[in-house]
Amino acid sequence: MAAAVAELKGAGPEGAPEARPAEKTESLWKDVWYALRQNVPAMVSLVVIVLLALVAIVTFVAPGILPYDPYQQDLSASFEGPSMAHWFGTDQQGRDIFCRILIGSQISLTVGLLSVAISLTIGVALGAIAGYKGGVVDTIIMRCMDMMLAIPSILLAIAFMAALGRGIDKAIIAIGFVSIPEYARIVRSQVLAVKQSDYVAAARVIGDSDATIIFRHVLPNVMPSIIVRATLGISSAILDAAALGFLGLGVQPPAAEWGDMLGRGRNYIFAAPHAMIFPGLAITVTVLAFNLLGDGIRDAFDPKSRAR
Amino acid sequence: MLKYILKRILLAIPVLLGVSIIVFLIMRVFSADPAPVVLGQHATAEAMEAWRDANGLNDPLIVQYFNFLTGALTGNLGESYYTHTPVTQELLSRFPATVELALVAIVIAAVAGVALGVVSATHKNSPIDGLATILALVGVSMPIFWLGVLLIILFAGVFHILPSSGRIDPLLQPVGGTGLYLIDTLLMGDFEAFADAASHIVLPALALSMYSMAVITRMTRSSMLETLNEDYVRTARAKGLKKRRVDIHHALRNAMLPVTTVIGLQLGSLLGGAMLTETVFAWPGIGKYVVDCILKSDFPVVQGAVLLIGVIFIVINLVVDVIYAYLDPRITYTKEEG
Amino acid sequence: MFMADISRRRFVQAFGAVAATSSFALAGCGAQRASEADGSAAAGGTADTITFAQGADPRGLDPAYVDDGESAKIMCNIYDTLLRYDTETCDIVPGLAELPDVSDDGLTYTFTLQGGVKFHDGTDCNAEAVMTSIVRQLEPERTEDMPYASFVFGSEASNSGVASVEAPDDTTLVITLRAASTPFIKNMAMALAAPVVAPSAIEAGDSNENPIGSGPYKFVSWNKGENVVLEANEDYWDADHMPQTKNVIFRFIAENSSRVTALNNGEVDIIDGIDASVVPTITDAGNELFEEDGMNINYMAFRNDEGAFSTLEARRAFCQAVNVEEMVESLYGDYAGVATSVMPLWMAPYDEDIQQTAYDPETAKAAFAELGITSCTMLTYTNPRPYNSIGGQALAEAIQGYLADAGVDMEIVSYDWTTYQTKIETDAFDCCLYGWVGDNGDPDNFMNLLADENVSMNVGRYRSDAYNALIQQGLATPEGDERDNIYKQCEQMVADEMPWMLISHSKNLAGYSPKVKGFYYHPTGVVHLEGVTKEA
Repeated sequence: MAAAVAELKGAGPEGAPEARPAEKTESLWKDVWYALRQNVPAMVSLVVIVLLALVAIVTFVAPGILPYDPYQQDLSASFEGPSMAHWFGTDQQGRDIFCRILIGSQISLTVGLLSVAISLTIGVALGAIAGYKGGVVDTIIMRCMDMMLAIPSILLAIAFMAALGRGIDKAIIAIGFVSIPEYARIVRSQVLAVKQSDYVAAARVIGDSDATIIFRHVLPNVMPSIIVRATLGISSAILDAAALGFLGLGVQPPAAEWGDMLGRGRNYIFAAPHAMIFPGLAITVTVLAFNLLGDGIRDAFDPKSRAR
Repeated sequence: MLKYILKRILLAIPVLLGVSIIVFLIMRVFSADPAPVVLGQHATAEAMEAWRDANGLNDPLIVQYFNFLTGALTGNLGESYYTHTPVTQELLSRFPATVELALVAIVIAAVAGVALGVVSATHKNSPIDGLATILALVGVSMPIFWLGVLLIILFAGVFHILPSSGRIDPLLQPVGGTGLYLIDTLLMGDFEAFADAASHIVLPALALSMYSMAVITRMTRSSMLETLNEDYVRTARAKGLKKRRVDIHHALRNAMLPVTTVIGLQLGSLLGGAMLTETVFAWPGIGKYVVDCILKSDFPVVQGAVLLIGVIFIVINLVVDVIYAYLDPRITYTKEEG
Repeated sequence: MFMADISRRRFVQAFGAVAATSSFALAGCGAQRASEADGSAAAGGTADTITFAQGADPRGLDPAYVDDGESAKIMCNIYDTLLRYDTETCDIVPGLAELPDVSDDGLTYTFTLQGGVKFHDGTDCNAEAVMTSIVRQLEPERTEDMPYASFVFGSEASNSGVASVEAPDDTTLVITLRAASTPFIKNMAMALAAPVVAPSAIEAGDSNENPIGSGPYKFVSWNKGENVVLEANEDYWDADHMPQTKNVIFRFIAENSSRVTALNNGEVDIIDGIDASVVPTITDAGNELFEEDGMNINYMAFRNDEGAFSTLEARRAFCQAVNVEEMVESLYGDYAGVATSVMPLWMAPYDEDIQQTAYDPETAKAAFAELGITSCTMLTYTNPRPYNSIGGQALAEAIQGYLADAGVDMEIVSYDWTTYQTKIETDAFDCCLYGWVGDNGDPDNFMNLLADENVSMNVGRYRSDAYNALIQQGLATPEGDERDNIYKQCEQMVADEMPWMLISHSKNLAGYSPKVKGFYYHPTGVVHLEGVTKEA
């Protein structure tokens, strides 16, 4: 499962494929990559995401590269509108909003990736076990998943935050936890389908252990659905994190988080609309990019749409 | 059919119990000790111990859960730490506002979503289709609270045509009745109040509906495209029936099945979005109340509200399932009886 | 199976019918309008409703149990006080009673009340009722949740305030003090603790939720988090202060920008809690701006009893680290002035040569390093306050920025105002934001805060016998140079010992529709709406 996460992170231009213990996947991945390349919106999104990831990494490694310190207040420059010096203007404390949005990508991407990693790891494991084992184990696991699905995820995440306390680390756990069932469901249904197939039966005959069968034969086959879901999952995790920030449950000031910036800018929608518009735009563009990429990957995996 | 419904209801019971366990665990086990929250950090250890004893927090967890469950079943969800009012009463008084908002939002989302989806399916790859696709994509990508603030800036701040917050002019507020102001004012024949309530609900409902509208549009479009490709539709066309008639009477009716399910499920997820929308528009429903209470760690209220929303969510899913089962000719539920 | 015979269409019909009947059955319980008002113009070209939007709900509506301005603004329209302040100043004029006869030793006050006054529920508002309203706030009846009781009526422990109250007849009230007190007469006009609550409401036990007074407006309803509705008291006893508008609504809209939107959009008629950033938005939309010097202080209190800043050196370093002047200029623009003393200078011109600790970031940084202070916790409120128009969060973050420069990491813990007032008494913290709006124009009203035993007043838990002695002396000294000198010494002690970091004095700002006439925001932070009208 860790491999799946690492692969997601490195979903750069080289793409997903290689290093996979697969039956017939090599050519599939090539086909998928080829199909994806024809999809202009998806490719644009990929570029946007890669750029964003670069921004996050570079600002983390070398924050000095930013023209302004995103945390340094300068009250004499409060709420300046967009200008050549400050492209997106400044916030109430005179901090450059452009720089804060750039550095805010660290938190948004981290939340997106880590929370998906959490839900992916646990969800795939539970789904695989439920689907493969069946019977009582299946019933218990999937009933639990149903229970979690019975509460709107943002509400459950907020309830978690209320219990755990504020902080971005807790937001990651909360958001990651609440989307476990989605992965478990997808994986379970795919596993159920794959389980009946000939090659799994064959593997069982030659005496492969359950774990081996799951990891070597079953999971590679459910990977396409998981990758699609995870890509879309990152977008919803970023949205949820922004919502928590907007409600004031996110970061401790002076940290820069897009939802939190938006929430604060909201108090000055007339005097300084830029303080609210740009963080909102950053969230929307990022989420849109992950959505488009997710859609693109799905279409690329879908033989029907590839044939078209 | 009856058997199927009964079975679904029976299956919902363990889920309901599970939800109550999750809620209970989050609030009682993971969260901090409520005694200092209520009594203050400088209260003596004895006072806190006495308070915990009095409130049953020192009982074994299973006993605590049982008490919570029996309380919940009898409509007793405890008292707010801050206002000391019964949680049930606080939630019920705010419930109609949230229901009204969610219903109006789902109507907007369903009508606009289905219309957009049908048009873009029947005019595939046309500019309208492109526009609908973009709208649907932006709809699922835009934070609901950002959209809400933008709507306020535009319609209340710039054009001054719609109110920015609140539910109704306090002097026009209907008392008693369903608590759904749109219905109450109509039943009273008070059209001025109805218009006022309607003008208040437009922006929040629009903001809240956007995400669901996008989902419904996409679902309708793909489902519609699928049925348009089915043989009977082609046959109908081949027989020379008018395109519009075929589209509406044959294709749409069949395409609506999965769309109905999505609409039902979206109604549930609107309850989550309502928390953000209500906060932005100062809409006096459960969502805003829960957010306020979370910010002040008023656990009994949060616990009660999450439980209530979970129960509603499950009931909606149940109803959707039953309707779907009845509407879909492909599902047979009387098989065992032959 | 029988149901399988029913056609799908009939199932849907049945389903719809059930839904429709059940909603009708519910509706049949009989909905009706909350008010008879129809929102249209009354005769004479004035509107029959005025809506005032403020930032938060009142904490309660019984003046004995609350201590905040949001409550006071509403209560001053519901209740009468024995005496009143003049419209624009804190000079005392008659109210429910004439100006009292004071005995030569300054201990006995004899009030003569208006005859025939009724509370809103029809019960008599006589001397007996006024006595009931006061006595419940005196020891031993006084309870801990009466934040203003000791402030207005004194206490045994400090040998101050009211010793006894008597009502020899319906219109005569005799109040005897323990010690002579100069501000006492002004206290009798205050919007907190002093207003006269109907004994019937006190007996009913829900006077905080269902207030009954004798004032120009009657309480109708309170939808928590939304609004309080009042209606004119047509039988008001005071012909000079008859309510001019039939309905008054107080709406609660937390965000400054939302309140401005509501005003510009015509949803409300008057708003307060305005910050500099929205003033152009208000005036550009053709609305009026009310702007007068306020009687308030915006400050940050240190925990003087424990935590990082319990030593003078630490507090001095903090004050040196923060550039108050730059901060006030940036956050409040033209609508607040840097505080050089606890009281605004227009109230206490004798304080003008007092200096607070000067900004000196280098020294501060060195001092913090030497003291080993690297982190601290600040408690703050989120809502805008009359003394802090931008809200506590932004102010806290500005201070956090300065402290970061001095090498101290400050954690900010924020709550909405109502919760905040509870937390301030219960939570651990090193410093917190707070403020004060003067109630009666007397210096004691400001300076007494630091001598108060009650932590909801004295949030920094400052305790100084020398300071308390000065306060006691000031209470008993008649107005004049000697008294001024005492309070000047108090101000000097604050500057020297820094129990608070003084920040600003805010102007009283309100925005209102040009149709609104007769609006005035009293320096004490309350708004009497009985004389306010709105053109239709």
